[in-house]
Order: sequence, then C-alpha cells, then structure tokens
Amino acid sequence: MTKQTFLHDKHVALGARMVDFAGWHMPVQYTSIIEEHKTVREAVGIFDVSHMGEVFVSGKDSLKFLNKIVPQDISKLQYEKAVYCQLPNKNGGLIDDLIIYKLGLEDYLIICNASRVDEDVNWMSLNAKGLDVKIDNQSHNYSLLAIQGPKAAEFLATLGLNVNQNSFSIKPAIVAGIKLYASRTGYTGEDGFELMVENDYVEELFDKIMDAGKAFGIKPIGLGARDTLRLEAALHLYGNDLDENTTPIEAGLSWSVPKDKDADYNGKDVIMNQVKNGVEKKLVALQMLDKNIARHGYDVYYNGEKIGVVTSGAVSPTLGVNIALAYVKNLENICIDSVVQVMIREKLHDAKIVKKPFVTKRNIVKI
Amino acid sequence: MSITEKILCSKTHEYILENNDGTFTVGLTDYAVEQLGDIVFLELPEVGTEFQKTETFATVESVKAASEIYMPISGTIVEVNEAVTEAPETLNEDSYEKGWLVKIEKTGTDIEFSDLMDYADYKEELE
Repeated sequence: MTKQTFLHDKHVALGARMVDFAGWHMPVQYTSIIEEHKTVREAVGIFDVSHMGEVFVSGKDSLKFLNKIVPQDISKLQYEKAVYCQLPNKNGGLIDDLIIYKLGLEDYLIICNASRVDEDVNWMSLNAKGLDVKIDNQSHNYSLLAIQGPKAAEFLATLGLNVNQNSFSIKPAIVAGIKLYASRTGYTGEDGFELMVENDYVEELFDKIMDAGKAFGIKPIGLGARDTLRLEAALHLYGNDLDENTTPIEAGLSWSVPKDKDADYNGKDVIMNQVKNGVEKKLVALQMLDKNIARHGYDVYYNGEKIGVVTSGAVSPTLGVNIALAYVKNLENICIDSVVQVMIREKLHDAKIVKKPFVTKRNIVKI
Repeated sequence: MSITEKILCSKTHEYILENNDGTFTVGLTDYAVEQLGDIVFLELPEVGTEFQKTETFATVESVKAASEIYMPISGTIVEVNEAVTEAPETLNEDSYEKGWLVKIEKTGTDIEFSDLMDYADYKEELE
C-alpha cells in the first residue's frame, strides 16, 4: 500500500504531479523543476518531507547506545544541537544516513530516510539488546515541512519564530500559533528550517505558511527540485550515493567521522583502517564538458579503462551545466581537473572532476 | 484546421504529420512533453539514417530522466530540427510548430498506420 502524507490532497489540489517514492505517493513537481529550484535558490520554498522517519531514543543507556551505532561521538553533542551521522553495518557499509538531535539529558531524536525507517529500527533494536534504551518509532505521528531559501528566516520571523537560532540546532517553538520543533537544517545547500509538527496540525500550518509566504514569493517545491538542489550542494542521496557496500570514508564523509572516538561502534575497524590506509574507491564530483547528462548507473572511463560508475546526475539549474557524483577507483591521477569519460548511449563523453560542492553552501541569514 | 486535427499519434506519444511534399514530420505530443517536464537535452539522429517502426531514433532528457523516442512508422531521416537541439526548452512551449524533431521519408507500407490514432482518440486513450 502506497502511503500518503497528511498534505497529499493539498498537493494534488495544487496541481502537483505525484509519483511513488520510497513507498509514498509524493509530489515530484508542481509547475517546473527548474522554476522550483530557482525559487529555493533566490527566495523561499516549502517542501513536504513528511515521508521521512522520526525515531525517538530515550533511557539511561541512550548515549551509550547511540555511540555504538554511529561513528560520530554523541557524547560531544550538546543539548538542542544536531549532528549529521551515518548508521554503519559491521563492515562499515551504510544502512542509512541520519540526523541526530539531542532533546534532553537522555532524550534524542533521529531523522532517517523514508526508504530505510524499517531497516533502521530493526538494526537499532538488535543493537539495543542488553541496554536500558527505548526506541520509539513515531514516524506515523509526525509531519515534517522544510522551509528553505535565502528568505526563509526573514519569512518565518513574521510567523513568530525566533530565528536567532544557529545552524544545526533544534528548539521547541511556536509558528503561526502552532506548537512544533524548529530545526535549522535542510537538504538544499540554502539556509532554512525544518518544522516537525504533529500530523493533526500540519494542514493548518501548511495553509498559514502558504498564505503568509505569498509576500515572500513562497512556492511549494517537489522532490524533483529537492534532488537537483541537494546534488548542487553535493549532499548524498541514500540509495544512490550511499548504500550497504559503501563506507563513509569512501563516500567522502571523512570530515564527519571523528578519529579520536573512544567508544567502539559497528564497522569501526574497517572505517578506521580506511582512515589510516586509504580507500580503493572514492566519490568525485563531475562536470560534463558537453551537453550530455550523466545519469545514475552510467559507467566512468579513464584512458579507455572502466574506473567507476555514476551514482547521481542531473542538470544544474544554477550553473547551467550538467553535473554528477560518481564512485571511481582511487587512482593517483584522478584528482581535481582530471578529465574522465562517461559512457552515455554507447558513446564516451568528457567530464571534468571538480570540487565539491558544485554550488557553495549559503551561510545562515542573521535577522 | 489546427495541427492536432492533422496528426496521427502512437501509444508511445510520438506524432506524425504528413507534409505537402510527401515527407512526414515526427515529434512528441503535447501530452508527452507535459509529462516529461522541463526538457533540457535532445539527441537527434543524422540525416540519411533509416529506422524501423518502433525503433529508438532519438533521446529526450528532462531534468529527472532520459527517455527514448520511437519511430511511429519506418522511415529514412531527411531533415533534423537543429534549432530544437540548440534550444530543447522550445519543446515545452510547442512540440508541433517549432518543436518538431525530424522529417522522414516513409519506407514501410501503409499497414504500419493501423495502430496510430487520431488526436481525439489518442486523448481518449489517455483517460
């Protein structure tokens, strides 16, 4: 059974084209992916991301438990702060990538990918054995709205949100008279907030945001633009750029993995070995040198030899060029400015390796 | 007579239009273009190439994905719309007058028309 968010009928009424995504019937676009993309880069957009999972973790051993399941050092996570994490298996491959929030002394919130909620919760339960920890999957009770773009803070301030809040922080808040959690996070490379609200209030919240947002040029944004926005920011998409055979080090997420964490965690030996001795494959950013578009699954060549595969690719509406992420063999001469080839419909097309991200992440806007 | 009254459409959303000189113009229906969304790339075949009915002769890419375009009838390419490969977004505005793809000379028999529909039937089929 395909699931629907509490805003499903509103998306349809707004003229969205609906698609099945991770078991949910979701809006892929309302008007045009390129137009929606530009709205988020230039003004503000609203995304319904209620398909994502919300899992609460509590109990005396919650810190010990989290430190066992992620490479990140949760003992350093402060109250009302968030950290980007991965959920490795015993081999260091990724079951999911997550955001973990600290809500209280022993209380945490995990946001996981819609397609992985069940796997995540199973894996967490296995890892919770013998520990005093409660894993409470509340995904069915919460909706999540992302308000993203350079005007997001200015706009939400008009709805009563105290936007004097740091990046990667979360606070209980009231927006347009509705109680929720406001987190300064997103998946677009823009400044913005994610509002986690109980299902019963999400329709009212959405309507009020859409109404008040008119003055700021707000538009609803579908999953299509969400994908091009995150790709420009070189943010990984689970299932494309991350999977159970890929470690965080191979994925270029070394920056997020502490090298001095004492606690043992799943896959630590593999991950730490890669930190020390290097990796065989690595994630690179490609810019196509002609008008062709590299897509997920296309092969990458160098000197006539297959060296890897594209995991995400699309046009960059901001840059006006075609961009991609690919895993390639970690060869010495494959570095920034190297030219490789992508096999597209049986022909090789040049692509240059460029720095990540493609589009620089915007700092938070201070009001 | 509007252009949609003169075309025949395939189940895979291509259309053909018979021209005065006996060639046929091939393109994508407005429905196909709307479903694809923003069109950002188009790869068309070279003049002189021959294709069988239902064979892939071109590729269209929207932001989201690449899609193949199939020959509604067998034919040899006699003209390619270079303007539309330069500005693929033209297709989103108008896939008939400006956004046609190729012109062909028919190489098959008329039996190949049997599964093509006029625009009214095609629209009905979509519902």
